Amino acid sequence: MAQSRLSRRKLLRTTALGAAAVVAAPYVRGAHAAGRLSIGFWDHWVPGANDTLTKLCQEWAEKEKVDLQIDYITSQGNKILITIAAEHQARSGHDIMQMPTWEPLDKADALESVDDIMQKIIAENGAASEATQYLGKDNGKWVAVPATNGSQVKPPVARISLFKQHVGWDPTAAYPAGGTNEELAEKWDWNMFLAAAEKCHKAGFPFGVGLGQTTDSVDWVGAVFASFGAQLVNEKGDITVKSDETRQVLDWFKKLVPFLPSDVFAYDDASNNKWLVAGKGALIMNPPSAWSVAKRDNPEVAKDCWHFATPRGPKGRYSPGLPYYWTIWGFSPNKSAAKSLLLHLSKLSSIEKMVAASNGYDIPAYEKALDFATWREVEPPKGTVYHYPPRGKQIVSLAAAPAPPKIAAQIYTQATMTKMVAKCTQGGQSIDEAIAWAADELEGFMRT
Amino acid sequence: MTAVTAGDLGRLKPARRGSIQKSRRQALFWSYVFLVIFAIFFLTPPIYMLVTSLKSSGEISAVTNPWWVYEPTLENYVELLTQNQFLVFFRNSVVVSVTVVIITMLISVPAAFALSRMKFWGSATLATGVFLTYLIPETLLFIPLFKIFAFLRDVTGIEFINNWWILIILYPTLSVPFCTWIMIGYFASIPKELDEAALIDGAGYIQMLTKIFIPVALPGIIAATIFAFTVSWANFLYPLAFTTSADQLVLPVGIVTTLIKGDVYNWGQIMAGSLICAAPPLIVYAFLMDYYIAGLTAGATKG
Amino acid sequence: MAELAAEAVRVPAGVRRTSLQKFMRRRSTIAFAMTLPLIVLIAALVIYPAFYSMYLATLNKSMQRFVGLGNFEFLFRRATFWMVVKQSCIFAISAVFFKALIGFFVAHFVHTTPTKGQRKWRGMLMVPWVIPTAISTIGWFWLFDPSYSAFNWLLGKVGVDPVPWLGHPLWARFSVILVNVWYGAPFFMIMYLAALKSVPEQLYEAAAIDGANWFQRLWYITLPMMRNIIAITVLFSLIVTFANFDIVRILTAGGPVDQTHVFATWAFLLGIQGNDIPLGAAVSLFMLPILGVSAIFILRGVRRRAIEA
Repeated sequence: MAQSRLSRRKLLRTTALGAAAVVAAPYVRGAHAAGRLSIGFWDHWVPGANDTLTKLCQEWAEKEKVDLQIDYITSQGNKILITIAAEHQARSGHDIMQMPTWEPLDKADALESVDDIMQKIIAENGAASEATQYLGKDNGKWVAVPATNGSQVKPPVARISLFKQHVGWDPTAAYPAGGTNEELAEKWDWNMFLAAAEKCHKAGFPFGVGLGQTTDSVDWVGAVFASFGAQLVNEKGDITVKSDETRQVLDWFKKLVPFLPSDVFAYDDASNNKWLVAGKGALIMNPPSAWSVAKRDNPEVAKDCWHFATPRGPKGRYSPGLPYYWTIWGFSPNKSAAKSLLLHLSKLSSIEKMVAASNGYDIPAYEKALDFATWREVEPPKGTVYHYPPRGKQIVSLAAAPAPPKIAAQIYTQATMTKMVAKCTQGGQSIDEAIAWAADELEGFMRT
Repeated sequence: MTAVTAGDLGRLKPARRGSIQKSRRQALFWSYVFLVIFAIFFLTPPIYMLVTSLKSSGEISAVTNPWWVYEPTLENYVELLTQNQFLVFFRNSVVVSVTVVIITMLISVPAAFALSRMKFWGSATLATGVFLTYLIPETLLFIPLFKIFAFLRDVTGIEFINNWWILIILYPTLSVPFCTWIMIGYFASIPKELDEAALIDGAGYIQMLTKIFIPVALPGIIAATIFAFTVSWANFLYPLAFTTSADQLVLPVGIVTTLIKGDVYNWGQIMAGSLICAAPPLIVYAFLMDYYIAGLTAGATKG
Repeated sequence: MAELAAEAVRVPAGVRRTSLQKFMRRRSTIAFAMTLPLIVLIAALVIYPAFYSMYLATLNKSMQRFVGLGNFEFLFRRATFWMVVKQSCIFAISAVFFKALIGFFVAHFVHTTPTKGQRKWRGMLMVPWVIPTAISTIGWFWLFDPSYSAFNWLLGKVGVDPVPWLGHPLWARFSVILVNVWYGAPFFMIMYLAALKSVPEQLYEAAAIDGANWFQRLWYITLPMMRNIIAITVLFSLIVTFANFDIVRILTAGGPVDQTHVFATWAFLLGIQGNDIPLGAAVSLFMLPILGVSAIFILRGVRRRAIEA
């Protein structure tokens, strides 16, 4: 008797609370004709950029009479990766989910094909960049739509005055807004980078380039590996880490590390930003987010920043890229609405709005979208982000390419390359020991 | 601290008293010194959080003295509290914690009563067993629970994951064992004469529970309630694993994962949010400190 | 309140049995019914998932094949796994040791001060334990920040180089242990303080008359009287510390280069982030043997105290 009274009480309470919660929960609007759509976007750090995207979505939603729920999910702490993994496991979640780099291909069999709308988009916007195609197509068919918001590269951004004073090379002269001084630019390779790092370290303004486990570190280290021709795993899935190129690149890192601050190994995505904004460093590798914060918090530093091309390596000039994609989960109940929205967001006019709202941070994937005025106009100093989108002979590099996607995704999230560097520098191991460790790790990634 | 030797004791009484007094005074002096040192150690982080929360982001970036606020401002608190998202976190935390406390007490108190007073087959094993479940950490359970809830969703169609009310189901597993343990201790110390008097007067067991035990063991109940509340309020792993949308988060996860935007932190706001999150347990603690401490110590020292 | 902790009188079972048979039967059902929600809760959300995780750990990565102990074999071959084992043990043992030590000494100091002022000290010193762990860890994270560390600023004022609190493996491990000790020492303090109070004053006075010095009193009176409570709290804390997640996750996320990972955070990384649920489950299960051994010791301690009481 006691038990039934107890459980009835509990049941009533829970139901009452549940009902109250449903009524009180935000985002619950009246029923709309064409259904509901829930979206998980990457949380843009630029204040206002999210709002522009929300407005773009809402103007579509009003026309189509769809009930929208938008979540902005940060990449800090790998939150967006965790969300993607959780939704993939639970086979439920948002309808549209934004995914970085390797995720679309890694989750390809759970995604809805978007080849049909991509054909329309490409017809209007021009071809998509090679890197974007590489990561967005599974067996020749698009499984993800290149996203504008969040797609970035991480070129060097340097303090002009410090470089002029201590390195004796002016980035604004080599990479002026509007063009490139080929002669001066040719000199800018990884050896010069090393020399510059040493000079700035001696002058008390070391480079703040991360060797941690988050994307900022993994992306730029991946570009260095690519420019030396060092591949961890080749396209066929063979482990090719034990190579001369790998030894070369690790050797280069061993020379670099003494000139970096000692905590670069624990850097997360925000650490290099803070380093620049606090005025402590002469160079970091980052999209314009750090400069934008400096505009607000330390204008003296901001006026002195210049974004320019990544140094050249033996095998080419690779710019660390991080493309984002909008994907539609296979379990989504409202795929047609999702596709319609993504078409709307991929219009050139929408892309231009997003680029402007992000102060030029976002890099679109399409030929016809690479020449917006934003990159020429934003200041101070004027033209600082002109060379931020990769121009000329720069190749957008994807860390861990050309490994098969499922393996590449793990190399990326587990930060194998930066860990290799850490092991043979801070960890005190030899280069061969670090390579042997990596080979062992890579074998583990082959698990099915 | 001076040693009181046998030699001292052989002398006249006044001298001995003086030596003991001196050693006591010295002990007291050193105690205060160390207590102050430890108090500084224990209180530095919260105080620093407070200092940072009163700074504008410009002042934080300017790397002036981090321990002092030159231009105190409440803008961080204002921004947080007028921003819908933070209030949603707060609301979720409150609803979850309060509900869990109620559920916990509804389960623990009757169970503790039954286990401490009414001997039935297996009651002794169950009593120790209850405490032992506390030894299976949440860090072991979150992975299988994740799959279980996904499976349940397939079967029943109810969406469990990424809803804050899943925490209402999960948190009691953390609070119920210890609360039951505390209550068993308290109930066990109530004199049996009260039981027998009530039985003679014709009271049933339920009446005994509600009219005698609960009022007499009220300190224990308060202590258990405080514990259940604190555990629910502060939990981090379960919400991190099971809730991802911004409007489903509770405060600790919300602050850690959402106030940190992109690759730019706003430390002033983060610290302000953290203090607001730390406030309820601290307030409960400030007013009910004695119950809190008694509950902890009773739970451990009782058989 | 604290006084209630003193005695737990046990009623010999025979007293009740003089009641009517019917009454006893009714009591059993009612009693069982009252404990039913508890049993259901624990069985469904603790016991069952624990066994389920053992099953999960025997599947392959995509959870379609049964691989028996394959996952465990895989883990044993990885150097990182053994590093995590070593780290978890060092972390748990050293953190608990320092917590117990600091808790004991601080309790002693508080006990020495006049009773009137003790409440104030207790209040102040308990604060770390009351603040949610995740929140205070964020505060520490900010104190250790590479670019803005307030500690490094102070060190800079006295001419010491900035310390890479979270950047260098040794310092990172130190920092994680430090935050854990900061958080947990108050718990030990409060337990030991209660136990100290229950040691009869006469024993100390008698010892003083017999010429015992401070250290002898501690060793021969205080410690033996507190043996049980010390054992219980140390074991309890070992378990909780061993399974710690919040502090490592927020402070270092396991870095640098996996050198502060403990079982819980590594399981989270592999299982949820790495999309390999069986492997994550396998890692978590390694906590069980340690927990099991501790459980046995706690049980023995509890039974012993129950008999002594």
